[in-house]
Amino acid sequence: MRTEHSWTEVGRGLVDLRALLAFRSAGLNRRSRRRLRIAGGTVLLLTVAAIVVPAYLRAPLHSRDAGKFVAILPTLYLGFLVLAVLAAIASGGGREVVPREQAVAFPVSSVTEHFGALLLAPLNIAWLLQAWTIIALTTYVVGPTALVAAAVPLLAWIGFATALGQALGWVFEGIRRGPHGILVARLIAATAIGAVVVVVLADQLVPLLDRSPTVQVYLAAAYPSGHQWTAWAQVVAVLLAMLVGATLLGLLPARWALHRPLREELRLESGHIEPRPNPRSDLRAMVRIDRASIWRAVPLRRGLIVLAFMPGLVALAGRLEWDMVTILPGLVASGGALLFGVNTWCLDGRGALWRDSLPVSAGIAYYAKVIVLFEVLLAAAGFTIMLAALRAGTPTAAELCSALAAAVVVASQVVATSMRWSVERPYAMDMRSARATPAPPVVMAGYSARLALRTTVVGLLFSATALADSWTIPALVAVPLLSWSAVRLVRTAAQWAVPEVRARVVSVVAT
Amino acid sequence: MERDQSRRERIRVRGLWVRFGSVEAVRGIDIVAYAGRATALLGRNGAGKSTTMRVLGGVIPPTAGEVLVDGVEVRSDPLTVKRATGYCPDVGGLVPRATPWEHLQLAARLRRMEGWETRAQDLLERFELGDAAHRVTGGFSHGMGRRLSVVLAAFHQPGVLLLDEPFDGVDPLGVEATQQVIDDAKARGAAVLVSTHLRDLAMEACEDALVLRGGSTVASMDADALVGEAGARAYRALLD
Repeated sequence: MRTEHSWTEVGRGLVDLRALLAFRSAGLNRRSRRRLRIAGGTVLLLTVAAIVVPAYLRAPLHSRDAGKFVAILPTLYLGFLVLAVLAAIASGGGREVVPREQAVAFPVSSVTEHFGALLLAPLNIAWLLQAWTIIALTTYVVGPTALVAAAVPLLAWIGFATALGQALGWVFEGIRRGPHGILVARLIAATAIGAVVVVVLADQLVPLLDRSPTVQVYLAAAYPSGHQWTAWAQVVAVLLAMLVGATLLGLLPARWALHRPLREELRLESGHIEPRPNPRSDLRAMVRIDRASIWRAVPLRRGLIVLAFMPGLVALAGRLEWDMVTILPGLVASGGALLFGVNTWCLDGRGALWRDSLPVSAGIAYYAKVIVLFEVLLAAAGFTIMLAALRAGTPTAAELCSALAAAVVVASQVVATSMRWSVERPYAMDMRSARATPAPPVVMAGYSARLALRTTVVGLLFSATALADSWTIPALVAVPLLSWSAVRLVRTAAQWAVPEVRARVVSVVAT
Repeated sequence: MERDQSRRERIRVRGLWVRFGSVEAVRGIDIVAYAGRATALLGRNGAGKSTTMRVLGGVIPPTAGEVLVDGVEVRSDPLTVKRATGYCPDVGGLVPRATPWEHLQLAARLRRMEGWETRAQDLLERFELGDAAHRVTGGFSHGMGRRLSVVLAAFHQPGVLLLDEPFDGVDPLGVEATQQVIDDAKARGAAVLVSTHLRDLAMEACEDALVLRGGSTVASMDADALVGEAGARAYRALLD
């Protein structure tokens, strides 16, 4: 048996993971540790609340029809699995506990990489929200009897879906790193999207979802309330076996994928890039370099394509109506900012020092980043709205204006927030690898939660204005929100103009 | 020490202090550098060489002290100082997903250079980077990156050339090209500051030497005093 397939190596991989986590946490100061403890405690508290509170809510709300939730629960469980798969694929197989550049001196095995990526998968607001949603809706339906037992199959399913998503993420990454990998990966993605489109157009989506085997998860959660312990134990045992199996099975594609060369990255780094005419202004010159830094980075390019397509395709499949389309730009803008915007100077990497030594005003350097981030977020959000519009019917003037205003407002809001974070909390991050993130995983989880909360509130606001009689209502609502974002951007620009602040940012990202 | 005081003073640093929070990276350094001469900044890791270079390049503001480049105070007018200097940073110094040509295009635009293409091509060829001119720098070896950083610093023929670790990991041909760039800069009246751990190479390129320790200047001398075995012993004694 090869070393990396042995049980000894699995044990060693776990020990190494502990060492990497300790290395990572050693870099935290006292304030960061406190924040981490608070965040961990909050997540735990919210998870317990998601299990307990809805179960006890059911009694006073019993007149409500819980049946409609029962009908959608298996689909939601399946949706969680799809999310886990897509997240692992989009992140090149999963996040790194320690960035590749820092870990290069250590013998980090694919076993450690796999367990590390699995451990970091929940540090994502989309994962957490979906997990809380399926837990809360299920316990609302099954009620407070034997609540802990009801939660066990749910947690096992969440674990299994995450582990399977991780394993499939490695498989996809391995394919992508192979000869003609990009082409094959695109063909697979196009086939999957095509299959969904065919199923949707043939009106077979709902019948197909109704036959989802995930109904067993719901039944297992419901068995304790009927004291059907044998049936419960059987399903739980199967789910736990599937969880362990998927976790261990993932080691094989992880090893396969991680031992393959990074073809797309190497192709980008060794390819000839045709020179363009000389820029006609300082701002254009700066913007051009920033655009190149985004579109030539594998994780950013891939992430933006996924973000532009996926929410739109989900809206398309679910035939989202215009008053709900307003939620989508917030999701896309938040996701886009999390690709690089929250630490936007990381685009310059080690070139930040040289760029700052060029004779250009701090304002131009700052607004070049603002323009590039804004245009990327707006383009992705606009594309999503276009996709959603295909099946959303003819909008009223208020609905159309609300969707467009939501896109512009959340994009500007996210840009303002991202620029502030970029100036106040820079990180040295190499965005070369498809698994790279612009900030450490725990920080990213905090950023994603805050962005999701803010943009969802704005999305809901425009969801309400979509019901108005006149398009002027969403337009009028947008004006103060845009003005506030502009004020925040100008404030951050003033911070950036301070030489000490600029020196700290460029010194950190160039480290 | 004998110096030609009649030459033009291009860098004057008096009592430079740089603090990062509670850390004092530079503690009262004095430097004077003249047109047509190269000065080596020597010292152990953490001596304050790179921080001093960053201050002179207008990237880090001084906490205290006077820093003049061509008579311009770096704190009050960093933009003019950046126009007058060419800076090769000690780490990386390159935007990873931009090509050398794009770096040069950006520098030429911001420095208002016309007809720069021939000089850019010539420099890239001299540093054997002509074939890599249109490849992103993220795929460059360490030595290639260093060579390109020197090209970028010297490209606009600045009055003050700041080279931080320009020989680090560079092959002999690259070292020769860098020495040539330093000679050219001196010949047209630029002041050159070279920070390096490679004493022998520094002594070949420079006329003056400054030894820093713990953020302060411990010696200022003619470079000849640090040449050969005797120079090595003298330098070693200054480091402890």
